[in-house]
Amino acid sequence: MTDLLTLVVQQSVNGVYLGCLYVMVALGLTLIYGVLNQINFAHADFVTVGAFAAFFTATRFATKALGIPDTGAYLLSLFSALGAGALLGWLVSAAVFAPLRRSGADELRPLIATIGVSVLLENGQLALFGPIPYQFDSPLARETIRLGPIFFSGQSALVVAVSAAAIAALYAFMRFTFLGKALRAVAQDRETAGLMGINENLVIALTIVIASALAGVAGALLGPVVVLTPFTGASLIVKAFAIVIIGGFGNMEGTIIAGLLVGIIEAFTVQYLGSGLIDLVVFAMLLAMLVVRPTGLIAERKEENV
Amino acid sequence: MSLLLVAAAPWLLTTGYWRGILVLCAMNVLLALSLNLVMGYTGQLNLGQSAFFGIGAYVSTILIKSHGWNFWLAALAAILASGFVGLALAAFATRLKGHYLAIASLGFAVITYQVLINWESVTQGVRGIYGILPPVPNTVALFYLVAGIAAAVYLLLDNLVRSPVGDTLRAIREDEISAASLGVNAAIWKAFAFGLGAAIAGLAGVFYPGFVGTLVPDAFGIIESFTMMAMVIVGGMGTMIGPVIGAVVLTFLPELLRGFGELRLMIYGLALTLVVLFMPGGIVQAWMSVRHKTRP
Amino acid sequence: MKRVLTAIVLALAALPFAPQAQDKVIRIGVLMPISGPGSYFGVMGKEGIDLALEQVAKTDLKGYKLQVQYEDSACSPLQATNTVKRVLDQFRPHIVIGEECSDASLAIAPILEQAKVVQLNAGSVTMRLTESGYKYVFRIFPNAEQQSAPLVKVARERLKAQTAVILYEKTNAGNDNAEGFEKPFVSAGGKVLAKIDFGRDVNDFTAIATRIASLGKVDVLPTFALEGQQVRLSQALAQAKVVKGGGGQGVQMGSIWLPWGYDQKAGQAAIGYVRIVQFDPTEKRKVVQDFIKAFQAKYGADKTPTHINAHAYDALLLVAEAVRRGAKDSEGIREQFTKFKDVEVTTGKITFDKKGQNSDLSVVHFVETQKDLSWKGLSWQ
Repeated sequence: MTDLLTLVVQQSVNGVYLGCLYVMVALGLTLIYGVLNQINFAHADFVTVGAFAAFFTATRFATKALGIPDTGAYLLSLFSALGAGALLGWLVSAAVFAPLRRSGADELRPLIATIGVSVLLENGQLALFGPIPYQFDSPLARETIRLGPIFFSGQSALVVAVSAAAIAALYAFMRFTFLGKALRAVAQDRETAGLMGINENLVIALTIVIASALAGVAGALLGPVVVLTPFTGASLIVKAFAIVIIGGFGNMEGTIIAGLLVGIIEAFTVQYLGSGLIDLVVFAMLLAMLVVRPTGLIAERKEENV
Repeated sequence: MSLLLVAAAPWLLTTGYWRGILVLCAMNVLLALSLNLVMGYTGQLNLGQSAFFGIGAYVSTILIKSHGWNFWLAALAAILASGFVGLALAAFATRLKGHYLAIASLGFAVITYQVLINWESVTQGVRGIYGILPPVPNTVALFYLVAGIAAAVYLLLDNLVRSPVGDTLRAIREDEISAASLGVNAAIWKAFAFGLGAAIAGLAGVFYPGFVGTLVPDAFGIIESFTMMAMVIVGGMGTMIGPVIGAVVLTFLPELLRGFGELRLMIYGLALTLVVLFMPGGIVQAWMSVRHKTRP
Repeated sequence: MKRVLTAIVLALAALPFAPQAQDKVIRIGVLMPISGPGSYFGVMGKEGIDLALEQVAKTDLKGYKLQVQYEDSACSPLQATNTVKRVLDQFRPHIVIGEECSDASLAIAPILEQAKVVQLNAGSVTMRLTESGYKYVFRIFPNAEQQSAPLVKVARERLKAQTAVILYEKTNAGNDNAEGFEKPFVSAGGKVLAKIDFGRDVNDFTAIATRIASLGKVDVLPTFALEGQQVRLSQALAQAKVVKGGGGQGVQMGSIWLPWGYDQKAGQAAIGYVRIVQFDPTEKRKVVQDFIKAFQAKYGADKTPTHINAHAYDALLLVAEAVRRGAKDSEGIREQFTKFKDVEVTTGKITFDKKGQNSDLSVVHFVETQKDLSWKGLSWQ
């Protein structure tokens, strides 16, 4: 790592990868916020559950019980993580968000309720899995890809690739399918959408399920690169929050840009300022942005009703 | 009547441990009251209250330990410092609404926490400051001191919300734009609410290090902000007695659950979720509707 | 009436001579982090103590029984303070084993000192615990200086290291260990190129590894973090070709923090890792082998105990030994502890110095990770 150019490129690569990691977690949050105007504080715990689901599927079930080779096992685990996330999402939607919507809640009560769910999930996983980190080895995690002096692990390439694919798929879904359009309609103006015959409760429930499934898949991708314990979610949630806001609440493109930006800033902060200062710099940036451009990177299209 | 119960509490719970929890409870009451002023009465979503708690704790402790100040002077300085920082946060608040304010306050709390951790030459960071003495020598006296202050603050705030000031704050909470049209300068009043809320949180913070004896930044993170918010909401936001009840319940609940060992926090999380789900206005409102129904 | 009165007086007079019901129980309070991320230590500590209770019950304790009450102190001074008061009020222990995290251990020391209850610490590194003049504090865990000084010696003398990059978690323990390495290394003429700290919630270390790669020739990298983060860090360092495991030339160094089994988790990246260990499951001493057999019988044949299990186990063994030597209460335990010389336990031999610190480090030795990821004991000291 001798010259400045190589260093800058390498840290940028690190930053992009880190950013994609955050985007995968934040994307689902943004989706829920866009439609419901509510934050699911337990979202990052869904990611953790997805990671554990993937871990047990890949290492215990697929390889031992079914005898599938590593790569196949890992792919299978992605699906089980998706399923786990979707299931959790459906449960939380039915048990928490829907009843609170019916009783006419504001934004705070679902937030506190999902905090309760987060505590429950975290400690439930602690009781089930224990606090010792699990070693989740995916076939790609052991590979290092080198392009000249630049390096990155196979898993990071996978993270970037899958997050790009997920974003593209989501985009297509929102733009081109009926359900996606219904979702956007509900997000923009719930009353009118209801008047136009859209079953808003179904759409909202579906959104939460999709967002949580995304969280599950994120867990399967992140499992091999993070420290996998029941507390992994807690280490990610606040930054995911911040990215959702920096990007402009409920705005997908903004979230993606914000996530990548946070990742790159983190990498360069580590290089030049010190890794103990990461959170400080990211949140100072956040505050600065709120001063300069309060509506986020890409302005939200909503207007406040007078 | 309830004041008598409070005054008698240290004689009903006589062990050192429970008396300590009483002191903690009194501090939490102060914190919940402070947050309720900002969120319940002025309608401003503040996720960063733990930062002011921390500022109160650190400013007073540093002044006492490193500069030899007297406790009461240091406490005053700490309260003023927190209030001042609260006003600074209010400068943000005036431009931001709803969720933007929420995240700004969250960001502010994270930054304060990071400063406490990293500015080691002043705060000792994660190493901690040890051997901190409380202003009065025993736990019972400390309880009466903090509970007395909490009661005084309660009365102060109660009078405040019943006064025209309270009407103004509520007007801002309901509809800021309409309030503006009636000539209310929302910015000034929001700043007032934030500043006062921050000062009260700082006041609670002043007693914390002496109570524990040790000061490390771990008590001033985001999770603590959310716990304070939970106290306000579980008790009943926008009422005066609500935060008090919420603070008492959420202070005693985790301690009472200690017999459950590993299940303790799971039960706590479940309880929190259920309370929010089934008691929309918090415990206060649930209590009111029960009384309503049982009246002939 | 007179007869009744006489009977009562006689009965009352006889009371002091009635055989007194002996309360032959030694009560041990245990403060461990059972919730929160600190439960990493608490769960293992509890395993060790539970096993020790079983084993000790099979031996002769002069008719005494050991009774344990666990409290969750969650690695936090606030909770540690609350729970130590709780256990003192409700359980009235003769001795308290705790805590694991340095802040919490320091927070309870003055309270136990005032209550004249012995504090036996089996997990904290902070120097302050035994430098503050407490008479009731005893520690069997090596403190920061005891852990880092041998590292410096080996780095300078055996590895001929000129430059070092110190990596540590942002906690009391991490700080103390890092400083414990930096000071002697610099006075011995070495140069510390960077001191890099990171929070316990950092998951990805590629940016840090890249930074280190840009610092030039790094000879040793002493690292003080828990195994989860260590695995990720080693892997990133190997990727960046900074350490031997990745084809670089830097040698990763570590202290007793890493359990046996770490190398298998980190894979290739751990090759060439040089560290000191205190509890070594490959040791042939009967005490160690018996412990491992009993541990596996109770917890599963595929689990190897870690040093955290071992230290907690030893702590309880020491209480039992004190009772065997005649201790009946807190003062008795304290007295016996001060007299301990070469008491053998799984983590070596125990002799407490005047400050309450175990100063016998005779079993501490260096190991190096081989290409097949096994430990090779080195005869360096």
